Amino acid sequence: MAKDCLMIEDLAKNLVHLKKEFAKIYDGKSQIQEVIPVLKSDLFPIHQQDLELLHQFATKNPIYYNSFEKTIGDTTCIVYEGDINKYWLNSIQHGSSNAPFSPTWIMSAYVGVLLAQEFGYQEVIDIGSGDGRIAFCAKVLGLESYSIEIDNMLVDLQKLLTILDFHPYCSDATTFDYSSLNLTQPIFFIGGLAQMGGTELTSGVLDKINSISNLKKTGWVFAGTYSQKYQPDPKNEAGWGSLIEKNNLKSIQTLSLPTVWAFHESEDTPYIFTQTI
Amino acid sequence: MDSVDDVTSMFDAESEKLVHLINTAATKSDLSLHEIIETYYQIMNVSSMITMLKQQIDANEHQTLLDKIIEIEQVISKKFNLIIHPQVIEQLSKSIQDTTKNLQSGTSEQKSKKDIENDAKLYEELRKKMSTKEFVEQYGKGLSND
Repeated sequence: MAKDCLMIEDLAKNLVHLKKEFAKIYDGKSQIQEVIPVLKSDLFPIHQQDLELLHQFATKNPIYYNSFEKTIGDTTCIVYEGDINKYWLNSIQHGSSNAPFSPTWIMSAYVGVLLAQEFGYQEVIDIGSGDGRIAFCAKVLGLESYSIEIDNMLVDLQKLLTILDFHPYCSDATTFDYSSLNLTQPIFFIGGLAQMGGTELTSGVLDKINSISNLKKTGWVFAGTYSQKYQPDPKNEAGWGSLIEKNNLKSIQTLSLPTVWAFHESEDTPYIFTQTI
Repeated sequence: MDSVDDVTSMFDAESEKLVHLINTAATKSDLSLHEIIETYYQIMNVSSMITMLKQQIDANEHQTLLDKIIEIEQVISKKFNLIIHPQVIEQLSKSIQDTTKNLQSGTSEQKSKKDIENDAKLYEELRKKMSTKEFVEQYGKGLSND
C-alpha cells in the first residue's frame, strides 16, 4: 500500500476518534452536528487553506444554524449544529428520492476525496449529492467535480455554496447525459445506502456509464452499513457485495468515516472504494 | 397441565386483553400511537395463538375452547378489521396531513435556535406517525392477501 494511502487511513482513524470523543461530550439538542478542526496539526495534517474552505462551506450553508469553538482531546474545532428536517419533508412529499438527504461529515467528504485523488482519479461525480459537499471537497483538492441531485430544493441550496464551482446539476442521475461531461478518469460517489435505493440508483448510473465507450477505468465509492436495522447482503461489503460482483467491480479499500446518520452509532460508516476490473 | 391447557389458559388471558383494547379503540376517536401499536400487536399475538391452537386441539374434546376461538375470530374480523382498522388509517392519514401542513407553513421563516429545536420535536412526531401508518398498512396488506 502506498505511503500516502496509509497517511489517509491514519487521517480517517483520527477523524473517527475525534468524532467518538465529540459524541461523548456533546450535550446539545440539534438534529445534526459535526466538527471541523480549526488548524492544521499532527493529527490532521491538512493544508490550512483547505481547512478554511471547509469552514466557509459550513458557515455559508443554511442547514447549520449555530456554531461554536470546542476543544476535543488535543484538537480545537468548530462545532456546527444544524437541521435538515425541511429538506426531508420536501423529499418525502415529492417522492423525489428513495434516500432522504442525510449528509456525510464535511471532513469525511474531504478524506474520501483525498483517497480518490491518491488512486489517480481526475474527476469526482457526486451522485445524489445532497448539499454537494463531496463535489465541493473535490474542487478544494483541485479535482474537477460534478454534483448530480434530483431534489430541486437541495440544488438551490448547492447554488448558495458554490464558493468553488462544483457544477450542481438538478437531474435524475439514472438519466443524466454523462457523455456531455467529457470524463477521462472519473470516480463516482454514490449517495445513499444499498438498502435505501442505492442499488437501483447505482445500477442505473452504471448502465449509462457503460454505454460510454472511451471510459475504461472508473471508480465507484459506496457508503455502507453493518447495522442490524438493514438486511445484510449475502456477499457482504456492507450491503454492496452483490452489486460489486454483478458489475465486475473490484473492492480496493474501505475507509471508516463519520456521517450524520451514524453519529449515535458505535460503528462509523464504511466507505467501500471499488474500481472496474 | 398439558400443553393445550397451558395455551388455553394463556389464550383466555390474552383474548380478554384484546377485547378490552378493541373496546377502547371503538369508543375513542383519537387513539395515541402507543395505543394503536399495542392493539395491533395484540391482534397479531392472539391470531398466532388461534392458528397454533387450531392445529393442536381436538374439536370433540375442547368444544368450549373452540367456541371461544370462533367468538374472538368474529370480534377481530367484524369489529376490528372492518370498522376499527379503516378508522385508524384515516386518523393517521389526517394527523400526518395536519402536522405536515403545520410544519410546511413555517419553513420559509427565519427561525431562532430554540424554534428550530422545538420544530425538530414535531418532525420527530411526524416520523413516528408515518412509521406507525406504515406498520398499520402492512397489517392491511396481510388482510387483503388472506
